[in-house]
Amino acid sequence: MATTASTSEVKNAISQYLTSKNVPPTQAWLRDFLPSIRLNTPIVALQKTALFRILCTDLRSSVSQASSAVLPSDISAPEVKERRLDGAITVQVLDFEDIGHSRWSQVENLEAVERGEMTKGREIIRVADEETNTDPNHTATAEASSGPHKLLLQDAKGTKVYAFEMEAVSGVGVQQLAIGAKLVLRDVLVARGVVMLQARSVEVLGGKVEAWDKKWRGERKEMLKRKAGMREDGGQEG
Amino acid sequence: MVTKVLCVAEKPSIAKAVANHLSGNQVTTRNVTGNVYTKNYEFHYNFATWGNCDVVMTSVAGHLLSHDFASQYRSWRSCDPSALFEATIDTFVEDGKKAISKNIEVQARYAQILYIWTDCDREGENIGSEIRDVATKINQRLRDPGKTVRARFSNIERAHIIDAARNPVPLDDAQANAVASRIELDLRIGASFTRNLTLSIQHMLQGEEKRVVSYGSCQFPTLGFVVERYFRVRNFLPEPFWTIKVMHEKEGIKVNFRWARNHLFDRMVVVILFERCLQAKTAKVTKVSTKPTSKWKPLPLTTVELQKCGSRFLRMDSHRVMQLAEQLYQRGWISYPRTETDQFDRGMDLRALVQKQIQGGPWRQFAQGLLDGGFSAPRNGRNNDKAHPPIHPVNFVDPSVLTHEEQRVHEFVVRRFLACCSQDARGSKTDISILYGMETFSTSGLVVLERNYLDVYPYDKWTSSQDLPNFREGEVFEPAEARIHDGKTSPPGYLTEPELISLMDVNGIGTDATMAEHIAKIKERAYVETRPRGRQPRRDDEDVSEEEQPFKPEVARGRGRGRTAGRGRGGRGGGNARGGGNSGVQEFIPTTLGVALIEGYENMGFEISLAKPFLRKEMELKMKAICEGRKTGREVVQETIDQYRAVYARTQQRLDVLRASVQRYVVAGNG
Repeated sequence: MATTASTSEVKNAISQYLTSKNVPPTQAWLRDFLPSIRLNTPIVALQKTALFRILCTDLRSSVSQASSAVLPSDISAPEVKERRLDGAITVQVLDFEDIGHSRWSQVENLEAVERGEMTKGREIIRVADEETNTDPNHTATAEASSGPHKLLLQDAKGTKVYAFEMEAVSGVGVQQLAIGAKLVLRDVLVARGVVMLQARSVEVLGGKVEAWDKKWRGERKEMLKRKAGMREDGGQEG
Repeated sequence: MVTKVLCVAEKPSIAKAVANHLSGNQVTTRNVTGNVYTKNYEFHYNFATWGNCDVVMTSVAGHLLSHDFASQYRSWRSCDPSALFEATIDTFVEDGKKAISKNIEVQARYAQILYIWTDCDREGENIGSEIRDVATKINQRLRDPGKTVRARFSNIERAHIIDAARNPVPLDDAQANAVASRIELDLRIGASFTRNLTLSIQHMLQGEEKRVVSYGSCQFPTLGFVVERYFRVRNFLPEPFWTIKVMHEKEGIKVNFRWARNHLFDRMVVVILFERCLQAKTAKVTKVSTKPTSKWKPLPLTTVELQKCGSRFLRMDSHRVMQLAEQLYQRGWISYPRTETDQFDRGMDLRALVQKQIQGGPWRQFAQGLLDGGFSAPRNGRNNDKAHPPIHPVNFVDPSVLTHEEQRVHEFVVRRFLACCSQDARGSKTDISILYGMETFSTSGLVVLERNYLDVYPYDKWTSSQDLPNFREGEVFEPAEARIHDGKTSPPGYLTEPELISLMDVNGIGTDATMAEHIAKIKERAYVETRPRGRQPRRDDEDVSEEEQPFKPEVARGRGRGRTAGRGRGGRGGGNARGGGNSGVQEFIPTTLGVALIEGYENMGFEISLAKPFLRKEMELKMKAICEGRKTGREVVQETIDQYRAVYARTQQRLDVLRASVQRYVVAGNG
């Protein structure tokens, strides 16, 4: 028995909901969003739709830059040994990389996928496990997991910072995470200008910016190859 | 009337051995006209099924029948190669086998029973059916039910043979048909593709290479693995990585702790993590656990394992190992060397086999020890082909009757068997973990308490590590040394034979019987060369380069292996007698021609490339289906021909790609 809510009621309900999810919308975004919905849809559904949509946008234009919800502008300063960021800060993922495995092995894996070798019935097994003839209680360590990852994050104001996955954060990985995905950092530790991600200090909201993600995935193999052929010191530009 | 039985074995040596066993060495030997090696052994025997019999035991020399296209198709330019998919195939006895065939006919004429004693595998079943065909042409009655039977045996030991003689079984036509299908497919596909390939590129090759460029549905994927690894090595880019090493000295012992993250490919991150460790100043012991551990004794020996171990430990190539194993089998020293089975049947009297080994040899004391209480039931693997047991020694043999090479293979088989019947090696492992800053490091120590099987099986190594000092959980200390260490990834090596065998096995191409042959084939065709692997410096943890393990794709490791025994059963001492005794493991390098072929076919861009194992794997699976009665030979031949005909057509369309590849790698590479 839904009653048609007024535009401003809907606007407030959506705004409150998104704020509670740490993605407080800008007025501009709300203005663009409202015409696309039908006001007589149940409010819960509208809120969900709004969340889904905003997670697919560029934070810089869609989310309000309340000062408490952004990174300090000097966040990447390497002179600062350590600091903590209080409160919840929402960021989007601009880039990320598996730094636990050589880039070359990642390239080979991509090429195997391209050749269709990951599809059922077409697998080519290239590493024949030598029989582990030790204690059966000894768990085999061979898994195809990736990570840990290093990420490049950006807040609603446009400030960028690097982050390192100190412990595995569920939802971070090439298959699961997209470029443009949103994370909420809570009381997070920053060492020498790099955010140290732990499971308890990160919430992966998800989402993606289609255009960025597509470009990233398309260029990924070439990027990995280039990085593999990098100069000796292996330094990463900040 | 005394029943006349004609027994036919696959090789003269088997015929002689069986004849002697059954007759109690009371045998009259007669020559066979036109063939020096084959003999007819005449004796009397009381077969349980038929009573007192007059027996003639003879042999063939591998396949009796040959297959080739009808004469109008034999010349290479007589027809378009694709016509061979449908062309008539003639079955005939080639000149070299005519005397043997005639002998069978003569002996079969008056026989009431035909008793087949070919080796018990698919190929043997097929040869058995050929013998039956030749014999029944002369003597129709041998086609009556129960008049043609076969013996099931896995070694040439006397009691075993006598037991087998008592329990004949019918010939397995399903297996015989599987082989017949395989023969037809290999002929049609091999010939059509080989002709096409050769005619297309021969003019581009020079000198030695200007010969037949052959295609084989198994050779190519095998070659494919070699080429693929070659390119992986060549294209490899070494990457720097960084790790943190922690060392602490306690009770006069230096302990190295290994980083839980192993290493990372980003220096900045490692430096930050390292700083946090230093900042923490002290490390805390989070776990100290001492647990019993064991090193398992090996699994019972299969053909694939024998080949891999032969390569790795005996430095003999797989082909040579199999030749020697075959000789040992024929002379009654070991069981049938072509088997997939890695579990011993529960009913087998293994102690009796161990007993035989106390008579001599460097292992006699160990064998005695097993009988005196050290005996332990062998482990069970996951495979049982239901045809033959794992390879094991059947008798005691004085080493002086063996050649030097035979001794080495024999010794391996004996030691492996005794190891199987031993206890696992036992030890105690201590694992210690520490938390330093927010990073975890660990170390472990091993004390070997009981060597057990290791004493007879020197091919496995397990030694105690240095002693660890005592640590307590909760203990806090300041590490003596902590530093960042860098290294570089290094390329994988070129493919070695054990690796190639593993790849073929795991990807389902070739069977235990044929893998060695396919490898020998690509060497013979000069698609690959072998060379000893360059000595690589022993790398320990401290050192600079660590090889990165490649990603392991997440796939199911099904170990279903097809069982087509595709070997040519020529006489003994066949083709490639490669000397053993190579020091250093051999690695495979493709020749320019090998690379050109694989790259050429790969670049044609088919969904299923001839250089990949899929097609062959499917064929092997279909062979299995015929054996198990799920498909008929005709069906499989038709399906497979259709598949390859499509591939052929596509290949024709893209021949330019192949030529470009030959141009690039062979022509441009020369001079």
